[in-house]
Amino acid sequence: MGSIGDIFQRLYDMTAISSIIADPSFLLMYLIAFGLLYLGVVKHYEPLLLVPIAFGVLIANFPGGEMGVIQADSAGMVPLADGTMESIWDMPLHKIAHEFGIMNYLYYALIKSGLLPPIIFMGVGALTDFGPMLRNLKLAIFGAAAQFGIFAVLLVSLAIGFTPQEAASLGIIGGADGPTAIFTTIKLAPHLLGPIAIAAYSYMALVPVIIPLVVKALCSEKELKINMKEQDKLYPQNMEIKNMRAVKIIFPIAVTTIVALLVPTAVPLIGMLMFGNLIKEIGADTSRLFQTASNGLMNTATIFLGLCVGATMTSDAFLNFKTLGIVAGGFCAFALSIASGILMVKVWNLFAKKKINPLVGATGLSAVPMASRVCNGISTKYDPKNHVLNYCMASNIAGVIGSAVAAGVLISFLG
Amino acid sequence: MFGVQLMLIGMVTVFAILLIVIYGSRLLVHVINKFVPAEVVTAKGKGDDVPMNVLQQAVSQITGGKGHIVKVTKVSK
Repeated sequence: MGSIGDIFQRLYDMTAISSIIADPSFLLMYLIAFGLLYLGVVKHYEPLLLVPIAFGVLIANFPGGEMGVIQADSAGMVPLADGTMESIWDMPLHKIAHEFGIMNYLYYALIKSGLLPPIIFMGVGALTDFGPMLRNLKLAIFGAAAQFGIFAVLLVSLAIGFTPQEAASLGIIGGADGPTAIFTTIKLAPHLLGPIAIAAYSYMALVPVIIPLVVKALCSEKELKINMKEQDKLYPQNMEIKNMRAVKIIFPIAVTTIVALLVPTAVPLIGMLMFGNLIKEIGADTSRLFQTASNGLMNTATIFLGLCVGATMTSDAFLNFKTLGIVAGGFCAFALSIASGILMVKVWNLFAKKKINPLVGATGLSAVPMASRVCNGISTKYDPKNHVLNYCMASNIAGVIGSAVAAGVLISFLG
Repeated sequence: MFGVQLMLIGMVTVFAILLIVIYGSRLLVHVINKFVPAEVVTAKGKGDDVPMNVLQQAVSQITGGKGHIVKVTKVSK
């Protein structure tokens, strides 16, 4: 039996406080977690994503809690409790749970295995209506233009010393699609998954801040007042869809087939996206599958994805120059994607009679449907009658396909 | 150089796939307009839209998409 002093010392050592005082960098992580929680809870920026991510960050940074995801080196080696090193890829899941805690079990079973991104894509597909895109097919091309940011940042990242795989994983943040960014990084640079996932989801959550910034820098008031409905009246479309239901059912089957034939590496994402959409469009016959994909399964996947992604953001993994470089590079990729969509609309307007509001180009990145909602808010600010939501959704949905195809190309060439 | 090549290949592929999707969808719409009966759209703004849709779905289901509701009359007791 020790003295009272010994007992208090052991009690003090038992708490997280002693470790936090020894390494105050944890405090910075708490600030980041509180900041993200503030954005999610008070500002309502993507709360379904930001709240689990932020809480994951918070619980991952309490020393002794064993809720932080351990960082394997580029060879996949991790330190065990007895001081030896072992490859994480050779460890069974129950050993990962025993050695590193339940969060690592979830992370390696659900995220590193690549399971959750396609499941989330299925849910996204089930929640997506391709109707606006099918009614405004021409606008879908801006979903391609907005992928430029991915490749531009890839080039810059290569120039400053990232490996091609790391540069591609960094660039894919510009697709503004969390599951796509995670899926690509798992395939190409799994050691960067934490910071890339954090950057991708944080910027997606900050779409209401980033899009207005880029739009303000690149667009004039006159351009933002272009009324798409008036343009439609002046130059009506020559294509009428007599049976939208039939088109919507065949569309996901056709797109999956085309993409699978040309870029098979994109099938895990596009295939699941289109499957989710198909079970929605079939209607009553598959309504139970649709309900599961769009509610229970999607919400479960989002909870685990958010918590696990947040848990990768431990102080030792996050607070280094490489991670901060990824966060900065991710922002550039994001902003460049928005800018390239806008610039393509501007070039289009130089030659076309039927003018297009540049906000349609700004939504060429994924982030469905938030990007469209934000752009609709911008347009109605300049002209309360100018609703561009449906037109923005066309390029926005095409952006989901575009970013998944871009990811497929990167995985094909670098994987 | 490798990065530039990758950028070209990537952007060309993304544009090509979306162009195929756009023109493939146009073709799909033309084929469906030609060979599949047009959807029956009920009048908007009436209070009975939902029951009408349910009835139309039921008739479509039973008749394999061939039958349409032309008129619904309220029968008073």
